[in-house]
Amino acid sequence: MADAATIAWTPRGSWAGILASGEFGTAGQPGVTIEARDGLGIASLIAGDGRDEALAQALQGHIGLGLPLTPCIVSSARHSLVWAGPDQWHLIAPDRNGFDELLRDLAPLAAISDQSDGRAALRLSGPKVRDTLAKGCMLDLHPSAFPVGTAALTSIAYMGVHLWRIADDPASGDAVFEIMVARSMAGSFWSWLSASAAEFGCKVTATGRG
Amino acid sequence: MSAKQPFRRGDGGLIDRASPVSFRFDGRSYQGYAGDTLAAALLANGVRLVGRSFKYHRPRGILSAGPEEPNALVELRSGARREPNTRATVAELYDGLEAQSQNRWPSLDFDILSINSLLAPALTAGFYYKTFMWPAAFWEKLYEPLIRRAAGLGRAAMEEDPDHYEKAFAFCDVLVIGGGPAGISAALAAGRSGARVILCDEDFRPGGRLLADKREIDARAGSEWVADALAELASLPDVRIMTRTTVLGVYDHGIYGAVERVSDHLPLPPVHQPRQRAWRITAKRAVLAAGAIERPVVFAGNDTPGVMLGGAVRTYLNRYAVLPGREAVVFTTGDDGWATARDLTAAGANVAAIVDPRPQVDAALVALGKAIGARVFAGSAVSRASGGKALKQVTIRDASGRETSLACDLLAVSNGWNPTLHLTSHQNTRPVWDEAIQAFVPGTMPAGLSAAGSAAGHFGLAEALVDGARLGSEAAADCGFAAKPLAATAKTDPDAVSISPVWRVKGGKGKAFVDFQNDVTDADVELAAREGFRPVEHLKRYTTLGMATDQGKTSNISGLAIMAEQTGKTIPETGTTIFRPPYTPVAIGALAGHHRGPDFRPMRLAPTHQWSKDLGAVFVETGLWLRGQYYPKPGEDHWLTTVNREVLAVRNGVGICDVSTLGKIDIQGNDAAEFLERVYINGWKALPVGKARYGLMLREDGFVMDDGTTSRLAETHFLMTTTTANAAKVMQHLEYCHQVLWPTLDVRMVSVSEQWAQVAVAGPKAREVLRGVVDAQHDLSNEACPYLAARNITVGGGIPARLFRISFSGELAYELAVPADHGDAMMRALMAAGAPYGITPYGTEALGVMRIEKGHVAGNELNGQTTARDLGLGRMMSAKKDFIGRVMAGREALIETERPALVGFKPVEIGQRLRAGAHFIGLGKPAAMEHDEGYMTSVAYSPVLKHWIGLGLLKNGPKRIGERVRAVDPVRNGDIVLEICNPVFVDPEGARLHG
Repeated sequence: MADAATIAWTPRGSWAGILASGEFGTAGQPGVTIEARDGLGIASLIAGDGRDEALAQALQGHIGLGLPLTPCIVSSARHSLVWAGPDQWHLIAPDRNGFDELLRDLAPLAAISDQSDGRAALRLSGPKVRDTLAKGCMLDLHPSAFPVGTAALTSIAYMGVHLWRIADDPASGDAVFEIMVARSMAGSFWSWLSASAAEFGCKVTATGRG
Repeated sequence: MSAKQPFRRGDGGLIDRASPVSFRFDGRSYQGYAGDTLAAALLANGVRLVGRSFKYHRPRGILSAGPEEPNALVELRSGARREPNTRATVAELYDGLEAQSQNRWPSLDFDILSINSLLAPALTAGFYYKTFMWPAAFWEKLYEPLIRRAAGLGRAAMEEDPDHYEKAFAFCDVLVIGGGPAGISAALAAGRSGARVILCDEDFRPGGRLLADKREIDARAGSEWVADALAELASLPDVRIMTRTTVLGVYDHGIYGAVERVSDHLPLPPVHQPRQRAWRITAKRAVLAAGAIERPVVFAGNDTPGVMLGGAVRTYLNRYAVLPGREAVVFTTGDDGWATARDLTAAGANVAAIVDPRPQVDAALVALGKAIGARVFAGSAVSRASGGKALKQVTIRDASGRETSLACDLLAVSNGWNPTLHLTSHQNTRPVWDEAIQAFVPGTMPAGLSAAGSAAGHFGLAEALVDGARLGSEAAADCGFAAKPLAATAKTDPDAVSISPVWRVKGGKGKAFVDFQNDVTDADVELAAREGFRPVEHLKRYTTLGMATDQGKTSNISGLAIMAEQTGKTIPETGTTIFRPPYTPVAIGALAGHHRGPDFRPMRLAPTHQWSKDLGAVFVETGLWLRGQYYPKPGEDHWLTTVNREVLAVRNGVGICDVSTLGKIDIQGNDAAEFLERVYINGWKALPVGKARYGLMLREDGFVMDDGTTSRLAETHFLMTTTTANAAKVMQHLEYCHQVLWPTLDVRMVSVSEQWAQVAVAGPKAREVLRGVVDAQHDLSNEACPYLAARNITVGGGIPARLFRISFSGELAYELAVPADHGDAMMRALMAAGAPYGITPYGTEALGVMRIEKGHVAGNELNGQTTARDLGLGRMMSAKKDFIGRVMAGREALIETERPALVGFKPVEIGQRLRAGAHFIGLGKPAAMEHDEGYMTSVAYSPVLKHWIGLGLLKNGPKRIGERVRAVDPVRNGDIVLEICNPVFVDPEGARLHG
């Protein structure tokens, strides 16, 4: 007889059943490399009335980052703060270690909602990353218009996305983008992304959990 | 053998003679070369007859060498890839190309419907308005099908398009439209200054007329200048040359639409390549360098295969090394045509005559004519071309009326050029008439766009180069890039631009065509004038002039000119034709891009989707979501069997149903309770922490907007749920309320719909099942966790979760939420824990049945036309506070006592099936609108009651419990007698809920 003790609570990430590691599309040196970013700590922060300054100071103290007041992302070795609308940010950590505690500490200063499982995140790189994104992203991603650290809330293939550019790949010098979509739309997003990247050859290096 | 290509010149041309290409036209095999268009290759093989015309089925050949072609339209490819109305003049030849002529039966050579020409008197302008009027019943059954078959264009493929299409977005400082001398100059000037430049050329090879004409720039061949310029452009890092890309439309704010024909020049798109890509290009500035389109002359038989535009003749001669004819006559109203005669002779054709209506022709040109051995007919015009399927003879008439007939197989017609200014009028500005060049030129330009070279009416090569360089620099400078000093103006050979156009030559025997593609003749334009259809828009619609897929590129001006002549006005007084996007026809597939079939719109999947799939769920689309509708077991061959089983399982044991798709909004802040107080009709301030409450919100106009339960997780923290369908709308509404109506409230909200996987666990055994997954320290007893409790708990050994004791089914029920990554495991854990109790997954159908059994309203009742009172929820409206919709809900019509309100229904004859949508009519009254008393909103078969039940909105409903009324369903011929009853069919006391 089944009981709680015998049930495995295996988490299933947002890319489970969608991403498969390996290469697809045109053969040869892949033009796009895709890595699932699973298990992140993601929380939305909305500053309370008149508490922006206090929130900024607390964040500076806790994670050493200031609040970006324009659409961009700031990062430390561990954390990132990405602009998510007026008075709104996403706090992102690479994993959940200490994340709940951090959120608890910040709770008096902002409306904080854990969104860690609600977003499907990818890291995209490679020489053809811009050409791939151009098939759906209505923003200008040219280095002169979208420098490292720029963030945007936009839509791709009729899906809302949160997109930003992190430091270039040190080895190749190619631009690197991270993108978050609503978890429920991960399958549709992948349908668009895989069709768009196939022309350039695409490599999936990490598929996430589950 | 066909491989010989009898009309191919021995050398020259921009074709790859090392790459012969085989193709088929109407089933016959031919050969051409890489670099040919289909039209060029057909001409090289001596194929002159290419199609039949739209209305009269007249034999047609190749008029032009570009996108304006009205005659040489073919069906390209076959099967699912068949493309009708493809212009042979721009279709790039590829090995294995298959094309069919259109509009002919049984064959191109012998077409039965060419007798339409004999019926011509009945087929003039407006013929279908006049001829097929009576009897009216004949239209649909006889006339329309007949006309459609006779007057068709090509046939579209009937199968699904097997190819992939894409959309893409591009950005630049300077967009250059057209890759001729002006466009290349503009791109060079802008590119050298460092601006981001996109150069779009619709040809597969940039160069424009420099590929077609023997011109010199700085004492070098024009094609060499092009090659050097392209090499330099390619070396500039931020310059992108997009060939095979047609800019189709100009939109607001510097947005341009374009289609790139990525794979149309290949037998099949390479794997992973789209066939076409639709671009949206955002440009800070743009230079239109689209060139010009040559004008034909209207004269009898001007549609005979072998009558060709002079510029096209030079294109075929010089670019494709093809002789469009061996015995030529040149008919030119300006200097330009004399170059055609020169090139024809140089290519080995015999020019029998040059006909120029101008009484005085430049002596140098006359000398040229003499030198090439052509008879020169100055002050004369070609009045007729004849020969049927191939030109045999032209009739030349001089000023005195004397006629000379000459045998020939090619008539090259030059009548000046019209700037390709279509894009300049896409923002609803009109071109203006330029008397000097006898053509419309761009008028007020769309913001950020300028026109260079021929597109601006500057037809000389030297002008084009200067224009392009200047406008390219200016455009870059406008974007903040300092212009490099302009290079010295290039020297070119002399231009030949003098023109005095002749719009038509009257008096020849036979039809004289204005619009070749729609078979509109000069007589049709005259008829329109006589019948009063004189304004240009009337002329167009009455005669269909300019309404074919070519949009009148070669016909609009002639039509205007003839109308002007008929009405005694000038051309500009007669009117202009403005253009709308697209400039040339676009495949629907290109506009759809990736978004067709299952990718038509995004599909949202719940975090429990895989679990449902594993159980063989049948899914239903609800908005963007795919939800489990029911979970059939082997042997269940009807959905109702499954749904009945699922309902009874919940009522008698326990079931689980995914409710992750409901909207969830996190609301925090010191004023969160006050905020809810204002958006919901009922009270919230007194809701204790750890409790949930049903809420109903109205729109400002007093009608119900949405409902759901909202829980107080902490003093200043609420979690609102919305219906699946209204999740986004409610979020938007709340943001509006906060940002616009009450910005001073300290409240913050964010959607957390995606974060949580949520499941309803319902049935008398729900608590036992939950006990198996909820960590032991959490007390689930009725005392500790009563009806409407909302708790933060943990499951599976520390996984944070939320538990709400709420019920849509009317049973003892909970909703359990876990972070979405754990959703799949939660379902599997519940299944395992519930196995001893026969736990049963149920879908939206069973959910719907149970809510109808309980009289709960849902989407069918929350339909935007109902008030809280209509739904029996009027007493929820607090009288102690203000809330959105309160005032308007009190409007007279909304509180009228007779207003249809929610009640339940059951059939008097118990086996009868109810139908949603049926209207209520009193017993014994006729089923007419004046007796309408409301309608049935929701029905279900209740496996508990073992008969159909329904909810509906009935006049005075709540006061009529126990009475009878008819449900009339004219759509399905239903008319049954119902008993009006309490909308709560099952457990009206709510005992199960509190169990």
